[in-house]
This record gives sequence, C-alpha cells and structure tokens, in this order.
Amino acid sequence: MRSLQSRLLLAATLVLAGFIGATGLALDKAFQVSARASMQDRLQSYIYALLAAADEDDSGRMIPPQEIPEPRFSKPDSGLYAMIAAHDGRPLWHSHSLAGRSVDIARQQSPGQREFHLFSQAGMELYAISFGVAWEDYAKGETLYTFAVAEDTVALRAQIDSFRASLWSWLGAMAVVLLLAQGLILRWGLRPLRSVESDLHRIEQGRAEHLDGSYPKELTGLTSSLNSLIEHGKRVQTRYRNSLDDLAHSLKTPLAIMQSFCEQESAHTSQGRASLREQVRRMDEIIEHQLQRAAVSGPAALARSVLLQPVLERLVRSLDKVYRDKQVDVALDLDSGATFYGDEADLTEVLGNLLDNAYKYCLGKVRVRARCAPEGVSGQSLEISIEDDGQGIDPQMIDTVLQRGRRMDETVPGHGIGLSMAREIISVYGGELDIGSGSLGGALLRVRFAS
Amino acid sequence: MHILIVEDEARLREHLRDRLRKNGYVVDVAADGEEGLYYGQEFPLDLAVIDIGLPKISGLELIRRFRSNGRHFPILILTARRNWRDKVEGLETGADDYLVKPFRFEELQARLNALLRRAAGWSKPVIDCGPISLDTGKQTVTVASNPVELTAFEYRVLEYLMLHAGQVVSKAELTDNIYDQDYDRNSNVLEVFIGRLRRKLDPDNRIEPIETLRGRGYRFRRETGREC
Repeated sequence: MRSLQSRLLLAATLVLAGFIGATGLALDKAFQVSARASMQDRLQSYIYALLAAADEDDSGRMIPPQEIPEPRFSKPDSGLYAMIAAHDGRPLWHSHSLAGRSVDIARQQSPGQREFHLFSQAGMELYAISFGVAWEDYAKGETLYTFAVAEDTVALRAQIDSFRASLWSWLGAMAVVLLLAQGLILRWGLRPLRSVESDLHRIEQGRAEHLDGSYPKELTGLTSSLNSLIEHGKRVQTRYRNSLDDLAHSLKTPLAIMQSFCEQESAHTSQGRASLREQVRRMDEIIEHQLQRAAVSGPAALARSVLLQPVLERLVRSLDKVYRDKQVDVALDLDSGATFYGDEADLTEVLGNLLDNAYKYCLGKVRVRARCAPEGVSGQSLEISIEDDGQGIDPQMIDTVLQRGRRMDETVPGHGIGLSMAREIISVYGGELDIGSGSLGGALLRVRFAS
Repeated sequence: MHILIVEDEARLREHLRDRLRKNGYVVDVAADGEEGLYYGQEFPLDLAVIDIGLPKISGLELIRRFRSNGRHFPILILTARRNWRDKVEGLETGADDYLVKPFRFEELQARLNALLRRAAGWSKPVIDCGPISLDTGKQTVTVASNPVELTAFEYRVLEYLMLHAGQVVSKAELTDNIYDQDYDRNSNVLEVFIGRLRRKLDPDNRIEPIETLRGRGYRFRRETGREC
C-alpha cells in the first residue's frame, strides 16, 4: 500500500462499510420487531371483536358470532381466519374464510391466557393467537372455550421485504455519496503534498531554486528542512567547484617552474634537486589545502550534535602516542555536556590541528578548556581554548601563521597548513579563531562558535 | 634492524627498500596485505612500515591482525590522507606513528629511528653512555663531544649495541640485523666492523666500550656510562 490516498481511502471504505452494514442490520431488526408487535396487537383486537360479536342464548350460553365486522373473515381464502374450539379441542365454529380447509389454528388455553405462534400448515405460513375464555351462564356454570385468530404472513413478509429494499438502497446511496465526499476531501487535503512534489520536480529540472510555495503548517517543517538541505547541497557543490578551479590553477605555477626547469642544465645539480623538491612540497600543500577545504561538511541542514569530550579524548590518546617522547601533560577542563553542532569530522579536524600544534610547540604542558553559554532564544555558543607552555607565537607572525601553507618553523616536522586549515573550517561554521598568549606562557588559541 | 615494508606502489616500495638497505637495515618488502601478514608472522621484525591502502588485506586490518596475534613491533603507517579522523583511526588500531605521503626520505628515517629507539626502551633521542653519545635523530656519534665519522654499517652495529647496552648481543643476532638472510655467516666481516668501531671510539684503549664474550657475543658496557 504505497499511496497515502489509497491507504486512507481503503481504511475509510472499510469503516464505512462496517458502519452502514451494522446500521442496516439494526434498522432491519427493529422494523421486524415492530411489525410483529403491531400484528400481534391486530390479532388481539380481532379476538376482542369476536368476543363482542358472540351472542348468548336464553340460558346465557355462548352462540358463535354470526356477523363479524371485518369482511375478510367472511371471504374464503382471504388470509384472515378465526376459530372457536371447545375446552377439549373440538372445533365449535370457524369463520367463512376458513371454509373447506382442514386447518386447526387453535391451541388449548386456560381462561385469560394467550399464546402467539407461527406455524405452517397446508402450504400456508400463519401467525396465530389463541386466547382462553371462560363463558359464565346464568346458572353460574362456566364453559371453557379457546378463541383463535390467524393471519397469513404473506402480507407481513411483503411489508418487511419492501422496507428492506428501500432501506438498503438508501444506505447504499448514502455510502456512495460519503465515499465520493471522502475521496474529494482526501484529494483536497493531500493537495499540498502534491504541490511539494511538483515543486521538487521543478527544482530537479532546474526551473526553480527552492520550495517557495505557501504550505500548510504541518508541512513547513519538512519544506524548510528540504530547503536547507538543497541550500547545503548547493553550497557544497559551489565549494567543490571553486576548490577544483583553485586547485587546477594553483598547480599550474609549480608545474610551469618544473617545466622550465627540465629544460635547464642545472637539473642535475643539488641546487636543482632542492628547487624541484620545493615545487613538489608546494604542490603537495596546494593539493592538501584544496582537498581539505572541499571536504569540510560545514553546518549541515539538520544539525547533528557532537559531544566534545570523546573527540578530545581520542585525539589526546593518539597524540600522546605520536609525541610519546615529550610526555605531554594535558589537562582537559570541559563544561559538562559541551557540545558542538555540526559534523564530527570537521570538529576532529579543527581540534586535531590545534592540539597537534600545541603538542608540537609545548615544553610539556597543554591545557584545553571548553565553555558553553546559552545564547539567543534556544542557541548555545561554544568556546574552546587550547594553550601550551611553549614559546608562544610572535604577534607579528600571527598573520603569516594563518596564511595557507606557510610554515612558521621549518625544522619542526609537520605541516604548516594545520592552523590555516583549522581557521578555514571554523569560518565555514561562522566561528572565529583568535591567537594570543595564555597563562601557561605559550600560545593560546581560542575558537568561538556561535550557535 | 629488521624492517618490513608493505606498500603496493612498486616504485616507492623499491625506493624505500634500496635506501633503507643502504643505511644498513635488513629490509623485507611485501606488495599486498596477505604477503605482509605472512612476513610479519613468520619472521622476527623490529619494525613495520605499512601503507593504509593495500590490496587484499587493508593496512588497518593488517595492523589489527598483527596486534591480535601478539605481534608488538612498532608500526609506522603511510597514508595519502592527511585528515585527523584517519590518523586517529590508524593510531587507535595499533600503529605507533604515521607519515603522510608524499614525504622526504629523511623524515621517514627520523621517524623509524625514534620508533626503534623507543621500542628498545630509550625515551630520549640521544643515548649517552659515559663519554660516548649516540644521537639517533641526527645519526651522529661523539666521544667526549668530539664527532666520530662512521660508515652506515658501522653506525648500525654501534646503534644496535648501544640500544641494547648491558645486554649480551650474539653474533648471529647482530648479523641478522645488519645483513639479509643470504649473507655468509662464516665470514669475519662482523669482527672487522667491531675492530674498526673499537679503534674509532677508543683509540687509546682507555674505556673499552665493547666487550667480547667468547662464544656468546658482544656487550656494550653499561658501566661505561652510568647515566644510561
């Protein structure tokens, strides 16, 4: 079930079918009960009419009725029958309508008692009532009779059937109307999704830059996330394109030098080799710089959070191994839960470069501090400072240090591009890198990220 | 010193092998992870240089297998990637240091020296034994602050002896660490080297730094330098 619309429609159809079916059954049942009850009432009233029409002779004994107000009793096979039986069950009288039929509709009842029963006889289905009567004559003698009236159920059935037919056709029509309405509501309700889809399609085709329609508020979270994702992708793409462009162009210069160098006599002298090596180093740094610049993820659309502590601990463990001879004493002083919002690889890169720098230039002590402070409505700023007890950085050299690919100290093994790389990543996140001097006596590098 | 190089790039591998051999190391080379694993498990190594991007078994996996099999020789990883995530991963896996390509041979040599020295238990790059001082970083030797000129092989013999100062180093062990397996063990080249070292370090026979223990080997005197 891939489509939301068909899912909702299917669910609605099932619920509607269940509901309408149950309603129909309940109404049908109720109608049957009331039709039966009204038939019982009618039969009962015929009994009273029979009693009223019965006469008595001189001594007060019952004479069966001669004339009954309901003409159907007099018409043969009318479907309405009456009968009076003696207390021993012997039929005493029956209505004209029952003439020629040997049908016994009475069931023995004691006086005042009645019984309804449904029965089939001689190809007819009848609904009958038997009523017990005690007839008192003038000599206070009582004679017991059973009065019975029966009616063919054909009429009742026809009534129920026609009720059913009209009930179900109405319910069916209602269901169809409801389903149609449901379908229309769904189409209308899901229309914003379709418009997001078609807007995305337009972006794919390059006919739009981002999702700029007005969407219902349930969708704005999604669409703004999509917009930042698109924006992020575009930024990354631009960065890649620029990096590639810069890379290609900046490699041309050392290549040109090497080219002209190949054509010179001095290619095999030691001075020549040194110059060649210098160009190789330059090319390596250019490649590294551009590669890393392109690899920075930057602030992502959906900011992930990275805890500082584990990242720093891993780096310190690794650097301790590399600088084992120095036995550097590293103090980590972090606010609990100090968190960076961005890519873990970027954070590792920044902290790796800064810490490596500190390890390289320190005499034996490095201190790392991280402070986070609430900022704005829901934001948080993060400040990380890394200081060492080395010689520090000459204020006049700071700009040079931060220039790409320049080494401050050629004799210390390593890559001069570390700090400038860190600064580049920090600036992608809109942060700042300050270089100053700290209380340990050496350089103090302070990174500040606004949220 | 016995070094294994596992590197799939043939030119770099041969270049490193030739230059390290020239500097007096015994060098085995492997072109992929499986071959590297074989050498690492079958031969006693003092150090391995492993490229991260290897065919068959990756460099990191190779290091992991060495370490889980209880092989503790120092490992230097070579990587084309400079990013910290990869460096940290390599070091956490069990490598001891890393070097990013391209690198100068001198840089590699310096890292190897430092790793070998640390593995022998010396935390400082300069080993002082009395008047004799060996700088493993610069690869120079001084006696009472006067520089002594040594050939690459002489230096390698002395370095091995000084790194194991106070311990008996057999002739076979010394030969293994200075020549490849196919070297003729019966020749007396080693004695010649030791003789030359003695003359260069101690022309007047006053400190006698290298003892000969007949039938067992040589020992660099610890008492020569109390500060060892």
